[in-house]
Amino acid sequence: MIRSGLAAVAAVAALACDEGLQPQPIPTECPAGFVGACGTVHLRGTIPANTDGVFIIAYRTFPQTCDEIPDFVPFPPPRVPLGDTVATYTLPLPDGRYEWIVAAWKKIGTLTLTVADTALLREAGFYRDPPGSSTPGAITVSGTGVDSVDVVVDLDNLHPITDYLTCTVR
Amino acid sequence: MSRRIGALVVVLAAALPITAAAQEHAVVFGAVRDSAGAPIVGAEVHEVRSALTTYTDAVGRYRLAAVRAGAIRLRASRIGYRGPVERTAVLAASDSTQLDFVLVPLALQLTQVTVVDKGPSRIVADAVTSVAVIDDEGLARRAAVRVDEAIDRAPGVQLLNGQINIRGSTGYAQGINSRVLLLVDGVPANQGDRGGISWDLVPIDDIERVEIVKGAGSAQYGSAAVGGVVHLVTREIPTGWHGHVRATGSAFADPGHPEWQFRDSPGWRGGLDASSGYGAAAVRGRVTGGGYHSEGYREQDARDFWHVAGRLDWDASESGRLQVGGSWAVDDYQVPLSWCNVGQCDTHGQDYLPFQIDIQERGATTRSQKGYASATYATRGVRTDWLARASWIRTEFTDHRPSADDHSLANRYGFELRTVSRPNGSRTVTVGAEGSLSDVDSDIFATHRQGEYAAFGESQQRAGSVRLTLGARIDFLAVDGGSLTAVVSPRVGAVTQSRGGIWRASVGRGFRAATLAERFVSTSAVGIPVVPNPGLTYETAWSFEVGNTLAIGRDALLDAALFWTEASDLIEPALDTAGGAHIQFRNVTRARLAGLDAALSAAPFTPRLKGTVAYMFLYTRQMAHDTVPEQPLAFRPRHLLTLSADYGVGPASVGADFRYSSRVEHIELEQLVAAGYVDGRRVAASVLDLRAAWRQGPWTVRVLVANALNYAYNLVPETLAPVRTGTLSLTWAY
Repeated sequence: MIRSGLAAVAAVAALACDEGLQPQPIPTECPAGFVGACGTVHLRGTIPANTDGVFIIAYRTFPQTCDEIPDFVPFPPPRVPLGDTVATYTLPLPDGRYEWIVAAWKKIGTLTLTVADTALLREAGFYRDPPGSSTPGAITVSGTGVDSVDVVVDLDNLHPITDYLTCTVR
Repeated sequence: MSRRIGALVVVLAAALPITAAAQEHAVVFGAVRDSAGAPIVGAEVHEVRSALTTYTDAVGRYRLAAVRAGAIRLRASRIGYRGPVERTAVLAASDSTQLDFVLVPLALQLTQVTVVDKGPSRIVADAVTSVAVIDDEGLARRAAVRVDEAIDRAPGVQLLNGQINIRGSTGYAQGINSRVLLLVDGVPANQGDRGGISWDLVPIDDIERVEIVKGAGSAQYGSAAVGGVVHLVTREIPTGWHGHVRATGSAFADPGHPEWQFRDSPGWRGGLDASSGYGAAAVRGRVTGGGYHSEGYREQDARDFWHVAGRLDWDASESGRLQVGGSWAVDDYQVPLSWCNVGQCDTHGQDYLPFQIDIQERGATTRSQKGYASATYATRGVRTDWLARASWIRTEFTDHRPSADDHSLANRYGFELRTVSRPNGSRTVTVGAEGSLSDVDSDIFATHRQGEYAAFGESQQRAGSVRLTLGARIDFLAVDGGSLTAVVSPRVGAVTQSRGGIWRASVGRGFRAATLAERFVSTSAVGIPVVPNPGLTYETAWSFEVGNTLAIGRDALLDAALFWTEASDLIEPALDTAGGAHIQFRNVTRARLAGLDAALSAAPFTPRLKGTVAYMFLYTRQMAHDTVPEQPLAFRPRHLLTLSADYGVGPASVGADFRYSSRVEHIELEQLVAAGYVDGRRVAASVLDLRAAWRQGPWTVRVLVANALNYAYNLVPETLAPVRTGTLSLTWAY
């Protein structure tokens, strides 16, 4: 019985040594074990009144037709925090090559994952390589996180998808 | 840490009252025997008001020579026996009175027995599955203001943000369902709209004991009992004037890390409860009232609560009693909702702040009102008992949030007719009919009603040392006056005694009807629409259990059970990305829950030191469906360990509870976590509670330091569990 009691005390001590929730600074790179893209979002401009949110999405290839617009990953996409001028994000992605990492501004309304969503969505910024250029940067995910996939979001310059391809909202 | 606790004990010890009033005394004596008439050696006999304690001698006798004259409450208990059993009497000065007790061996709690004065309810006596009972001392020593705080450490039981799990039954769905049925003095009391449990419905000081029946109970109690039953048994009303006043004060610790500091001084909670009653030979009544204010342990966590309750008993005849009871409670509280992540508040460079909230939710409040009224008339005869009852449960809440206001008003009307006959000494037959009608009027659940009507029967047959139970219940469900759906819930069980202890085995089918909230909810969660599913059907589960209760020597008792549940059509929230992203409750899951639930209670060195080790191993699997792979069920920890110890010397006692809950492997809607909509971080829980009590005459002082290590943890996403809380309660009883 004494042995049992000591064993119980030892078990309590071992279990109580678990640290529990701990403070954690904002990560500057992808967490360990994460698979996808990570980076910062620099916010510029004024948040429109009818804003539902800004989301980061990825396309394996740049959409060529209207029907390819809903072909982004992941779903649901991560929402960009709008409280600070600089925020970090993580974008979980399956392994593969992605040609367009884009910040999509969404107006208040329900998405249907059809072409009709183009009425609710605007391109607010995208990952550029090299930074500052107009060239979309491509990334390759291979079982780990890809760091420094940074995006500048300019809320004063939101672009409809029709700036990139001819698309009629049906 | 130890220095802080030591200082606290010194401060609290200095605050203990000293009473030394001269008393007029009387003598009480008697014997403690088991149900076969054999004397019980070493049973503890305790007088509650004067805190006098003695133990029975070698022939089971006891004597208390200095009991204060007046009304006394005497309790007898012994490890390995059901109890404590309580008797009351009124003693004149210099008087002497004999009070004998019969204690039922714990294993025999599973048999139909009659004990002196008080004993297990029908719910426990008829059980063929595992039972946990928390008596009023067990409730009181937690110094709790709500009953869920007091039962959270029961073996195999875990509360997730107020949602009860018995052997992992319910999981967590933000209070929108419960796979556990709440009974208040035998009356079903789950909410009419959400099916959940309002733990503040009954004042905790009115509760004499809590009986927790594990495993499927639908064969007796219908929907919601699929995962077990929690039965709140309110106190009997003794003769003469009686009552108590309890003052409680608590202080919440600061966050354990400077990065999380969010206010300049610790928060506090203070409350006052009072109860008074009078009992005559035929009529007895009691009223209870009270309330408390809490600043909470987090940002925007304040709460104002008050309640009233009453009970009236009328012994209409020698064998018939009418019991009328009811309560009303109002809870105004700020809503902390989810903790703050980057972008939701100024995190000062931190990834998250568990004590602070999303600034978009600042100012959110909820007003919750709830109450019940019930009337039960029961007669007890030599061969036949009758019972008739009617009940009304009303719940209402109004959410005031910056984004939207929500409101729901629900009623649940119930009735039952039941007869228990004993055609001979070895058979008991129970037959009855039960019904309930729930309605809701809400902007998020719309306006709907649901009827549940049932007939049930059960036969218990003794054959030698074996008791066999065979029963079934058929429920008819109807929503909005539509066609009836029938559900049959059979159960068979056996209990037998041998040299290897008391063995029990049972197989039963349980079910749970979809709640009106699950079926008709229309709202949004983390920005994604939650849409109704009127076609939602009931869920079912087959539960198996084999258990053994074994006395080990004179001072230890081991109870262990293997359980296995196969569930079908479990109702869970599902994220659908086709045809517009939305969340909907669906019958999507076939699941399995299996494991071991064991508890060892012992008084290894002295009867004054009692300890319990309880462990539950839980294996859960949600079977693959659609595109979802096989995975653990959400919000079910694999390991649940509870250690308890209490030591008493005269009027003083100290004790401790330790609860370890392993890290939850899987949470609901992992896709939302992966996408960053929900912060899925979580840890194992290691919580140590310390307590002390001192009884002196009519006064009782209790100290509880809950979560003494100030361990920061969460059981559900983005919701910090309570921090270290020091509570001092002072009770005066008359």
